[in-house]
Amino acid sequence: MSAYREHVADALASGWRFAGLHATPAHVRTLLAAEDGTTRIVTVPIEDGTVPTIVDLAPAGWDEREAADLYGVRFAGHEPLRPLLDHDAPLDRWTVPVHGHDPYQVAVGPIHAGVIESGHFRFHVVGDRILYVDARLFYKHRGLERAAEGSTLEQGLAFAARACAACAVANGVAYAHACEDALGLEPTDELARARTILLELERVWSHLNDISAVCSGTGLAAGSTRFAALTERARRLNATLTGHRFLFGTIRVAGSALVLDADQVRLARAELASLREEAAVGLRQLLFNASFQDRLPDIGIVTTADAERLGATGPAARASGLALDVRATSPRLAYDTFEPAVLARAAGDVQARVEQRGIELVQSFDVLEVLLGRPLVAADATRSGTESELGVGRVESARGATSCVVERRGDKLERLRLRTGSYANWPVVAHAAIDGLLPDFPLINKSFELCYACVDR
Amino acid sequence: MLTLLRDIRRLRREIALPRPDRIGSLAIRHVDAGSCNGCEHELTLTSGPHVDLARFGLGIVASPRHADVLLVTGAVTTRMREALLAAYNAMPEPRRVAALGDCALGCGVLGSREELAGAVEEILPVDLRIPGCPPTPAAIAEALLMLIDSRPA
Repeated sequence: MSAYREHVADALASGWRFAGLHATPAHVRTLLAAEDGTTRIVTVPIEDGTVPTIVDLAPAGWDEREAADLYGVRFAGHEPLRPLLDHDAPLDRWTVPVHGHDPYQVAVGPIHAGVIESGHFRFHVVGDRILYVDARLFYKHRGLERAAEGSTLEQGLAFAARACAACAVANGVAYAHACEDALGLEPTDELARARTILLELERVWSHLNDISAVCSGTGLAAGSTRFAALTERARRLNATLTGHRFLFGTIRVAGSALVLDADQVRLARAELASLREEAAVGLRQLLFNASFQDRLPDIGIVTTADAERLGATGPAARASGLALDVRATSPRLAYDTFEPAVLARAAGDVQARVEQRGIELVQSFDVLEVLLGRPLVAADATRSGTESELGVGRVESARGATSCVVERRGDKLERLRLRTGSYANWPVVAHAAIDGLLPDFPLINKSFELCYACVDR
Repeated sequence: MLTLLRDIRRLRREIALPRPDRIGSLAIRHVDAGSCNGCEHELTLTSGPHVDLARFGLGIVASPRHADVLLVTGAVTTRMREALLAAYNAMPEPRRVAALGDCALGCGVLGSREELAGAVEEILPVDLRIPGCPPTPAAIAEALLMLIDSRPA
């Protein structure tokens, strides 16, 4: 066993978790996160274009495939190393062979039937029964990470934050944390509070939107409309407080310009209290809608063991019984005494993922009520540690743990890697669909409600 | 269920949109050609209760074969160019193309040059431009309603 594999295996055995892997022209770097939130990077040089795989140790399958396609790295032992971003590869190279009695393929996308992001799914089915799904995303690959190289740390923020509107704050904060980690800076309490408020405002609209999406997936127009209305109100509140419905432009490296006076925080608290009440009423009414409730249980199941093995994160992981939430171990943010929300019935199915959003909304409203208890002023970061060329930031987005690694020379970005909650969870969606029915896939997919934009980058 | 419907009635049609001069309908096919998902999120809310585009006869349809308007979001990536052209080629005449959001209009696009195919108007004839990053649901609705008024008689 190589020293690199041994290092990763030992760390995983002593409670560390895999949090991402990326290549540079000369190295492959693996990011590990401990239970208490500390991170470390294991670097291995690329020799003869090759690095040992860790795909048998950790959920690094997509990361290694991406590194192979973008940097030409071969991962010894990762067989077959299927293309992920390379869309020129023939069908039999990127799909998993499925054998049996008359299986056939259903190709869907990249363009879908509604207002949905672009991506391609190849379902291997017998009748309506799904045997396997190959997800081919990256139709929206804009080369954001490569385009960010050479820009200043300040300029680089846009490439991370604007990768995805639904995760703009989470991605922006992860990037800012990574830069501050590299610069030896630490947010002041006020800066931590500003960012935590923004992260939770993002989660509120996002979770409301996701519940609306699941209602759409079951054909319950009344529920979908109700939560769409709440989503609209949450976005309007964002605009009132920050000038932007998706909170664009609110995150900066080493500071925050966001100011909320006494009237604004009072208004925000009142509107959030109203949204909290209406969301609770809406969820209660959904509980008593039998045709809706009948659609949710026992489909798209992800067991606790599978969630662990596949590297699931965020509400999807917690709905499967994994009590993981980066917010519980975020000293750079204002989540004092935060604990992951776990359902009594964490069955890992569509129902659990919907209910998980419900209890997490309550948590977000609780956090916001406290943090918006007094006006917010502009804030900055203070010197706390030594400078380094590598920086790591980890943040819990509405879809799970988002890791950002920044490599710099002076003030210039040499490499940016953004690994979002959606990126970690797409293989989990594909797994959840197995054994389900093809007509259930849209609902299963909506119960995860992952982004394509911040996966494709 | 009835309570849900009652609550929704209260929310409806709160945004004052101009009534088109003429009555008509438009079937819209949306294609995400490489967006950040912001335009999609706002477009989704045009069917929500506040804007409720359906009351003007505007709806999102599943196939370009049923569509009057191709509504394109995002910086067009090289990987989406072919699918975008296929959707356009599948549409019956008369057809219109609307570019939704600043990326689709080629403004301030982020990305590597080799991954981007260019703004929508470099690929398709654009009839309607809807600026914004992203445009609000009301702005999207207002712009689309202009297409009803500007239809050939």
